[in-house]
Amino acid sequence: MQRRYLLKAMAAVGAGLSLPHANVFGQTAVSNTINVKHLFNQAIQKDDALIGLADVQQNYTEQSLKIDGKLPKDIHGYFYRNGPAKHERGEQRYQHLFEGDGMLQRFAIGEGKIKHIGKFVNTPKYAHEESAKRFMFDGPDTKLTVSSAVAHADTINTANTNIIPVGDDLWALWEGGSASVIDKASLSFKNFANLGENSQYGDKLKRLPFSAHPKIEANGDIWNFGYNAAGTIVLYHLSAQGKTKNVGLINTDFRAGMLHDFLITHKHILLILPSITKDASAHGMFTSIRFNKHQPMKVMVLDKNTLKLARQYELPPGFAFHFGNAWEEADGSIYFDASLYSDVKILHEMSHIMQGKHIAKPATSNTCLYHLKANGSVDYQRLKENSEFPRVSNYLTGLKNRYLYHVGNTHDGLWSDSIYRVDWHNDTVESYDYGKEYIVEEHIPIAQDNNENNGYLIGTALHVPSKRTCLNIFNVAKLSDGPITRAWLPYHLPLGFHGNYSAA
Amino acid sequence: MKIQLTRAFNTIFDNKVAQQPLSAAFLTIAVFASTASQAQDLQVEIAGISSNEGKIYIQLFKGEDNFKNGVAAAASIVDAKEGQVSVNFNSLSAGEYAVRYFHDEDNDGQFDTNFLGIPTEGYGFSNNAKANFGPPNYSDIKFSVSDENTKIVNRSTVNY
Repeated sequence: MQRRYLLKAMAAVGAGLSLPHANVFGQTAVSNTINVKHLFNQAIQKDDALIGLADVQQNYTEQSLKIDGKLPKDIHGYFYRNGPAKHERGEQRYQHLFEGDGMLQRFAIGEGKIKHIGKFVNTPKYAHEESAKRFMFDGPDTKLTVSSAVAHADTINTANTNIIPVGDDLWALWEGGSASVIDKASLSFKNFANLGENSQYGDKLKRLPFSAHPKIEANGDIWNFGYNAAGTIVLYHLSAQGKTKNVGLINTDFRAGMLHDFLITHKHILLILPSITKDASAHGMFTSIRFNKHQPMKVMVLDKNTLKLARQYELPPGFAFHFGNAWEEADGSIYFDASLYSDVKILHEMSHIMQGKHIAKPATSNTCLYHLKANGSVDYQRLKENSEFPRVSNYLTGLKNRYLYHVGNTHDGLWSDSIYRVDWHNDTVESYDYGKEYIVEEHIPIAQDNNENNGYLIGTALHVPSKRTCLNIFNVAKLSDGPITRAWLPYHLPLGFHGNYSAA
Repeated sequence: MKIQLTRAFNTIFDNKVAQQPLSAAFLTIAVFASTASQAQDLQVEIAGISSNEGKIYIQLFKGEDNFKNGVAAAASIVDAKEGQVSVNFNSLSAGEYAVRYFHDEDNDGQFDTNFLGIPTEGYGFSNNAKANFGPPNYSDIKFSVSDENTKIVNRSTVNY
């Protein structure tokens, strides 16, 4: 096996904040005896690559980017991203990357220009803490010496994981509670979405968990799930305008405390439960999650019309934050891909790195393509390339895709430094290596005229030596040629999680 | 002790009270009348009320068993008032007490919860005991009433 295929990517951290666990927050507040902020400050002085995890103090005002190369005339729209950015207040630094308050980044692209603004999501939590000039609530892992009551998940909703356009608004997504409705023009927080409002559900959907990875079909319908640590999973079918069409509840014995992503086909919903459990003796929600090498991954296949379980599969033990896509063949069999880890070490590394700890051998993940056959059997193939943040063209969500895009690592380091395109038809992989001085974030395809062979791939990267973030646009047909546009901010942005493009 | 989220919120208000029209449930509870020669008056001050809409339902329990079983010694329903309301329970005999309440914002006589049993209306407890993804422990809610003939005040804020 060639070294470049061994992949050592930590995948530039790959997931949003998971749902809070019942009663984890109910323990007596424990003093943060280790000064995490101090440890991080020591580490960042020795390693510039950590600047993307430093605390952000204020919003970014509008800034024009310096464009290298040629900006395609047929890209006219907005590229949005979301991720945690408020990691510290006073002497307190959050212990896990998933805990920070969300910050939205908007790149307005068109007429030969790219302009950026960045704005914290002014959730009730953020507003209270901004006013108090201190963290007021325990985080999933971070326990404060003095903390305020958490009446429900939205009390501590950080809206820090993803952002999608819904109707005339944007929704900033977390996974433990409600979607945050964001004003498109100002990027201001409006309210938490009450999905049952003006429907038969009334307030019965208020404050329910709503994952940060909804799947939006070509017709605009939004599908999503919400996971509760007691094992209950809520299934949502919404219109393109965010109005609830149908809701279902599934009871499972999966009580690990975290379920991040899911998939749909044109007929079914796939809930993929990784091989993790909760260690009840451990403090902290993320800290308590353990890998169980004897626990198969489970796939629950549910009917989209009835929201009822149709069939189940067991897969070899594994863990994944993210899935790219699923599709169904005429014989009823289902294919889906995952950025698969061999254990859950990655989750804990994202705590270690926030505390400035050196990670000697970062966790690795690869693309795994599973085939769930109609007769109940399963086979799979695991690619060699390092893989995180898998994405496919939007119009193919739930349908057969030829290309899968993801980021990864070719330099045997901690951070993602490359982008990849997997071609399932030809079983080939094309890539572009940014170079090890870059930290590469999620890249998303923009298919032109609903043709995945034509269009662009867009994404951000942090150039560590110059401490600047750049926006990059590739021609999908010539990915390995490198970006046709590279546009520079004069400063760097916090490393984020997920984003989406919306045509103007 | 680990309490799962759904169950935790279901137990904030016991099913006997919470799943029937509360106005009826409350009215069937006899107003506490002590025969003790020495007694105290209790003033429950509830702050942070978000609006004038609906009513505040307050229950007073004597002792842990009664609290856990949802057997109230006294109860009161008052109109919500943005800011603060005060409710008096008079002539209490000495002992250990606890108070819980909720703001029936839509005035439907129910303590509303979502599909997972998580409250969608404001609620609170005596001593301003802190909710943390579930009800506080009884030990944080309880307070003592002695046989001294004085008035005691218990303050708390609604959790929305």
